[in-house]
Amino acid sequence: MLRLTYVYRNLTRNTRRSVMTSAAVALPIVIFVLSTAVIDGITRFLDNSARQLRLAITQKTSIVNPLPEGHRRKIESLDPTGTRILAVCGLRWIGGQRENDPMPLSTLGVDHDTFVEAFPEHRLDREEIDAWQRDKQALMVGRNTATQLGWKVGQRVTIMPSVPPYTPIEFHIISTMEKAEDVVTLWFRRDYFEEILKGEGKEYPEGLVSFYFVKCGSKADMDHFRQEIDRMFAGTLDETKTSDEKTFMNEFITQQFDLPRNLTILSAMTVFVAVIAAMNAMSMNVRDRISEIATLKALGFSGLFALALILAESLLICGLGGLAGSLGPYIAFTYTPLRKINIPVIQTFEIPFAMCIKSVLVALGIGLLAGAWPSWLALRMKVVAALRNLE
Amino acid sequence: MALPLYYNWRNLLVRKLSTGLTFVIVAVVVAVLAVLLSFSEGIRASMKSSGSSANIVALQTGATAESTSIIRPEEAARMMQTPGVARGRDGQPLVSHELCVQASIPRRPPPGNPANVAVRGVDDTAFLVHAEVQLIEGRMFNPAAHEVIVGRAARERYRNLEVGGEITIGRSTDKTFSVVGIFEAGGGALESEIWGPRSMISDVYLRRFTSSAIMRLDDPGMALAAIEYIRGPAVRMNAKTEADYYVDLSSKTREIVVLTTILIAIMAVGAVFAVATTMYTSVDSRRREIAMLRTLGFSRGSVIAAFLTESLLICMVACAVGLLGSLFVSGSRQDYLSDQTWTVIAYELRITPVTVASAVGLSILVGVAGAVAPALRAARIRVIEALRKG
Repeated sequence: MLRLTYVYRNLTRNTRRSVMTSAAVALPIVIFVLSTAVIDGITRFLDNSARQLRLAITQKTSIVNPLPEGHRRKIESLDPTGTRILAVCGLRWIGGQRENDPMPLSTLGVDHDTFVEAFPEHRLDREEIDAWQRDKQALMVGRNTATQLGWKVGQRVTIMPSVPPYTPIEFHIISTMEKAEDVVTLWFRRDYFEEILKGEGKEYPEGLVSFYFVKCGSKADMDHFRQEIDRMFAGTLDETKTSDEKTFMNEFITQQFDLPRNLTILSAMTVFVAVIAAMNAMSMNVRDRISEIATLKALGFSGLFALALILAESLLICGLGGLAGSLGPYIAFTYTPLRKINIPVIQTFEIPFAMCIKSVLVALGIGLLAGAWPSWLALRMKVVAALRNLE
Repeated sequence: MALPLYYNWRNLLVRKLSTGLTFVIVAVVVAVLAVLLSFSEGIRASMKSSGSSANIVALQTGATAESTSIIRPEEAARMMQTPGVARGRDGQPLVSHELCVQASIPRRPPPGNPANVAVRGVDDTAFLVHAEVQLIEGRMFNPAAHEVIVGRAARERYRNLEVGGEITIGRSTDKTFSVVGIFEAGGGALESEIWGPRSMISDVYLRRFTSSAIMRLDDPGMALAAIEYIRGPAVRMNAKTEADYYVDLSSKTREIVVLTTILIAIMAVGAVFAVATTMYTSVDSRRREIAMLRTLGFSRGSVIAAFLTESLLICMVACAVGLLGSLFVSGSRQDYLSDQTWTVIAYELRITPVTVASAVGLSILVGVAGAVAPALRAARIRVIEALRKG
């Protein structure tokens, strides 16, 4: 039977090498954890989009081309009962900045009457909803953005839109969306924006939305209306492209450096580096102990014992490296100010504990690969030849 | 007295496995560094070569990019008096009123998903103002026809943009344009765009207004005066040099550089540990040899230099191989979506002299950092004891 104390003793015989090998595994694991966290964040974000049973509607030729606000009534007319199409919400992107602050804001004007029903994941309470319906200048701010800008509920703020009328717009903050999944975006009422546009009297285009979101009753309804909506507007001046929200969001994400694909490649490369580093160390360990392994076998220990000894040592070194490499980022992004970091698209950067376990398993896999060849050599070692070579 | 380089080389070859594995680690780290840097270098190079300091970009006040700017005809007219603006042969000011819109064009597979490509409606003046824009294939579009010319980067990255291709542009899907020419623009962001006659582009997008005014100055030294005039009461618009405009658009590059640096630093420290493990083992297995060298008269410095040289030899050869490997991605195109223009820029991954210098620097750093402690240990070996123990 494999004696764990023996494995431990082996590990501490060249402590420096063991520690450095663990570190050489731990550091790639840090990159693996961070990359996987971003990829998982994107997947989680897209899965959440899929769960919301929403359709996204854009102008067919480009997402940047706006759609007329009149489309909303036509879409709603597809389901007079209101049981299959639960809410149609038009969104107008205005970007924006604070005065004398170049930091770009993600500000969206929405149809205030359908917003709450269309986006239930914002989990607004009764008071917030009442204030939203009552106050035309209402602004709801994602909590991370609010913290970053030092904005509080009840405060009056001014935003310079990046689109016409390009004049300062004053808002009242009514919520910092403490329970929402979106922690970045700023939401305001589109009717207020239209009122400002009309008041400018500068012939700026009015009554436009950047895209619509349609909350459906079921998956079957989504599939049905995805085709129905495009069919209704086919051949008109403003043809639509309707897709489920997950597909819509994914188009954005793949345009940002094709992040999921490139991060997967980076993770694979770092794991490969860790395997090579650990393999190098384990080969050295076996080479240093040729006489010892040969003696063990001469004493009657089986080749499998030698194999298990080397493999166990490799697994232990790499497992410890994996533990350090995964716990480091986990602690940093869970218990320090880094937990509030904003990442575009996925918004919140999370390293769940399950990912630490997954990373340790990957590290054990690295250990298995790294120990495979040296332990095979130990298994096949000819005792006489090994002992003779030491003369 | 220094040890000959041949001695170091032979020592590396004696330990083929550990030398080889360490070599692979450093080569992979260098290749990753080069590829990651080529992303930011590609965008930076694309943006840097985009703007001329002799051109001024005027946008509506409040708009952060051409794509969100709307300039009405009376506002455009006020800019024609801007001081320092060059004049064409016909005596007209070189002010190009341009319309910037977007079209959804599929990428070349894989993955083949659509990208938001910039479409620029221009008049003849645009080609005098953007002097870097040169046709390299086909012919110029006919101002009265549904024809476009396409930037070289856009043709390489997106589908149906070769000469003879047909693309849908505009608010409705029944308006197709023929691609009649390909242009280059010094490798800049304009090469990711599609250019067509402004009147035709305005028609199909139902846009009565322009997005920006780009003006050519006689002398770049007049830029400040021109910008002040445009920002002043006479025009009341936002203006900056074209070079500054594109630098501002590439602000995301800074984030990429920071992220790249962090990732590479983590990998490099890992590589240092790997090199150090190899060098320590090398020292431990050569104790008698080192003692012999010391007995023969080689100084501690020579021993330290020998181990540093061995480490650097591994790292520099690995650096060369890593860089060679990274050349496979050099020249390929990636695109990124600007969060200010909402259009994609098809930039070229580039292995530049900066990339090569960074790779060499990293390799030297890893080589030295990984060998210093083992080399010092080698230099401190007690000669008598080592000779006795063997």
